[in-house]
Amino acid sequence: MRNTLKLLAVVAALAVPLSAQGGSDTKGKFFFKKTCKSCHATGGSAKEVTPLSKTQAQWKAYFAAGKHNKGKEAITTVLKPEQVKDVQTFLVNHASDSPQPETCGG
Amino acid sequence: MGTKLMDRRLFLQAAGVTAGAVATVQVGCLSYFKKGRSAAADNREVPTTCELCPNKCSAIAVVEGGFVKKLNPNPENPKSRDMLCARGNAAIKQVYDPDRLKQPMIRVGARGEGKWKPVSWDEAFDFAATKLAEVKAKHGPEASLWSSTEGFQEVFFKNLGLAFGSPNLVRHPTLCLASVNLAYSATFGTVPSFDLLNSKFVIMSGANRFESIITPDTMDLIGSVMERKAKLVYLDPRFTVTAAKADEWYPVKPGTDLAFILAMIHVIIKENRHSKDFVAAYTTGFDQLAEHVKQYTPEWAEKETEIPAADIIRIAREFSDAAPRALYYAGRRSSWYQNDFQMRRAQAILNAIIGNWDQPGGMVPNAKLPKGEFLFMPWDEPKAARVDEIEKHFPLAAKGDGVYLKLRENVLSGKPYPVKAWMVYKQDPMNAMPDQAKTLKMIEQMDFIAVIDVHMSDMAWYADVVFPESTYLERTDPVEVMPGIWPAVVYRQQVVKPIHDTKPNLEIVQGLAKRLGLSDYFDFTIEQWVEAEFKELPIPMAAEHMKKHGVWAASGQPSFGKTLNPDHRFVTKSGKIELFSERLQEAGYDGLPVYTAPVPPPSDRFRLILGRVGYFTHANQSNNIWLNEFMKENDLWINPKPAERLGIKNGTYVTVTSSVGSVKLKVRVTEEIRPDCVFMLHGFGKKSKMQSLVYNVGASDAVILETAWDKVSGNAAFHETFVKVANA
Repeated sequence: MRNTLKLLAVVAALAVPLSAQGGSDTKGKFFFKKTCKSCHATGGSAKEVTPLSKTQAQWKAYFAAGKHNKGKEAITTVLKPEQVKDVQTFLVNHASDSPQPETCGG
Repeated sequence: MGTKLMDRRLFLQAAGVTAGAVATVQVGCLSYFKKGRSAAADNREVPTTCELCPNKCSAIAVVEGGFVKKLNPNPENPKSRDMLCARGNAAIKQVYDPDRLKQPMIRVGARGEGKWKPVSWDEAFDFAATKLAEVKAKHGPEASLWSSTEGFQEVFFKNLGLAFGSPNLVRHPTLCLASVNLAYSATFGTVPSFDLLNSKFVIMSGANRFESIITPDTMDLIGSVMERKAKLVYLDPRFTVTAAKADEWYPVKPGTDLAFILAMIHVIIKENRHSKDFVAAYTTGFDQLAEHVKQYTPEWAEKETEIPAADIIRIAREFSDAAPRALYYAGRRSSWYQNDFQMRRAQAILNAIIGNWDQPGGMVPNAKLPKGEFLFMPWDEPKAARVDEIEKHFPLAAKGDGVYLKLRENVLSGKPYPVKAWMVYKQDPMNAMPDQAKTLKMIEQMDFIAVIDVHMSDMAWYADVVFPESTYLERTDPVEVMPGIWPAVVYRQQVVKPIHDTKPNLEIVQGLAKRLGLSDYFDFTIEQWVEAEFKELPIPMAAEHMKKHGVWAASGQPSFGKTLNPDHRFVTKSGKIELFSERLQEAGYDGLPVYTAPVPPPSDRFRLILGRVGYFTHANQSNNIWLNEFMKENDLWINPKPAERLGIKNGTYVTVTSSVGSVKLKVRVTEEIRPDCVFMLHGFGKKSKMQSLVYNVGASDAVILETAWDKVSGNAAFHETFVKVANA
């Protein structure tokens, strides 16, 4: 696990190129679960949030308006800008009106 | 090779010695019948989860003397309903199968020649990693293809492919049920379960549920039809066991089920029998649907389907009268025709307009249970686009699954880029894909092929290196949530230690990852992974519970109607159930199902249709010695009329020829199939000599099936092949 954490720090530092292209769904899922869900979960300190909580347009508007960017709970205090972009990509891709054909297993 | 290695001869010797020792020590008549036991008795009962098919039934393994002696059903799993089928029982023979892979092997002869060198794990890992690195250096990571099918450890294989940098993961759904999944997702935003336990009226198109087992559907259907007298209407060109138990069987003209369904919708709307309140509150596009189906009269449908118009009208009336406890069952292996998606969409729409959504006896959105998740290191997204060009040709299909047949076409053409390495986990594309000759061409052009499997499948037979996976009774797997009307969490834990030099898939992936410089992404043990999953199960002492019981199911009865409130948002573009789909229309497809008549077979040919039985899983298990006893050879079903015309006698051998291949197999002359069709079962005629019971016995349908796919989902269309039949 030590290696994992080390690599995590490296990835966080090098995540800029992808974020410029709209973020990484895979990394966004990771940061959403690791960071966002530590508060936004059932029984957590903030309202439970899942990608299905908003539509694609609502998520885009939410991030464009810079919501969650103020005070000591600002998202930027726990995630780097490129990681925020990753999370946004993940949330938009899996929003309540996104095309999400179900699969089998996997 | 380690000390775990034990071949059949050694195994029998060991068992014999043990039995002899027991007989020596114990005297008297009764001891004569006592079975062999290990001196240090290892007698236990271990709850686990079956893997002989995708149902994931809970089982209790009885271990005596260190051997798996018996498998019993686990009554605690509501999905498997205290049942373990023939395949589940026969899992014992998967462990003690003399044919199974017992150590890593590297090919030394030509591909398919069957010459192998047993090697150490290190040698096998080094060999594979070197070959993969060579392909990556020459063509990029996207030149590797990662094929797999569902299983609890599939996630590790897929993650290795992604971490390696390949976008080309391809999974089984487009050889199975992608069309039904996409059709229900496009309509409801999810794929529901069907409450056969409480239904009063069931219609099935070719879903042979009495033979092709799905839990709990098969048991519930048996209960509802045989005990509670629910009505079953069954459409199938073949008289299956399900047809035999149905109230009404219609040998529908192949490929015309969509006409039957559209005519039912026509009757229900015309006679104002739809659920008006439900349609108004929860759906969009009803007016467009009503206008669209005006053309599809029962009289028109009779000409297409050969089902009398009077019967279509009567069935539509009975079906709507029974609503909401009525359902048109979706089925599972939905890979039939090139219009399969639209046929499944029509079923979904028919179900929607009678208002059976989230009702007892109708369609029910799957309930889920929470579990924890092991957060593994995320990797960079693969940079290349998928080789199957899924975004361009199948924009609505599940991207993570890929589209198998289009992928094969592109790999064969080398466009948009070459693919030169093929990694395979637990799948047999040689038999799963139609047109085996094309698959062999794809194999020929690979620089490297590796297969991870329990047994020497035909795909493994053509590989360069095979990695033997431990059977499910020999390993511990990730925890799985089984969503459904009665959701459950199941756990597969090791029952006995591996008896050969095999490894669980995670350790095989880790061995490769280490040599590919990807270890950090797989820096965990299966125990750490499982512990993380146990953590968020909402039960006290979850780990202890799961190890002791093997399953946890939410207590009480299922709850219906949770989504039936005006504020509920379906996961669709409009937030409603989409009878008419704007998203489909925007993607260039029909927003409502449009019927196109199938091309009939020429007079000298037959349509080849496929099906399943309860004792084999797809092309697997026919080499399991217990299951093989049910059927030792597959045969060709043909109706007596064409058989007489062709001079074909029951029990003789015939050649069956399509545009892509020819096979020879025994013939069964039977009234139980339409005169314009022939039928054969999957899973025989194997090329692998390590499938000794079915090697060159019977025939593989993959040899003669032609390549065709559904236009929207990309699902293989397995019923679009015409064949000639002649005495051999």
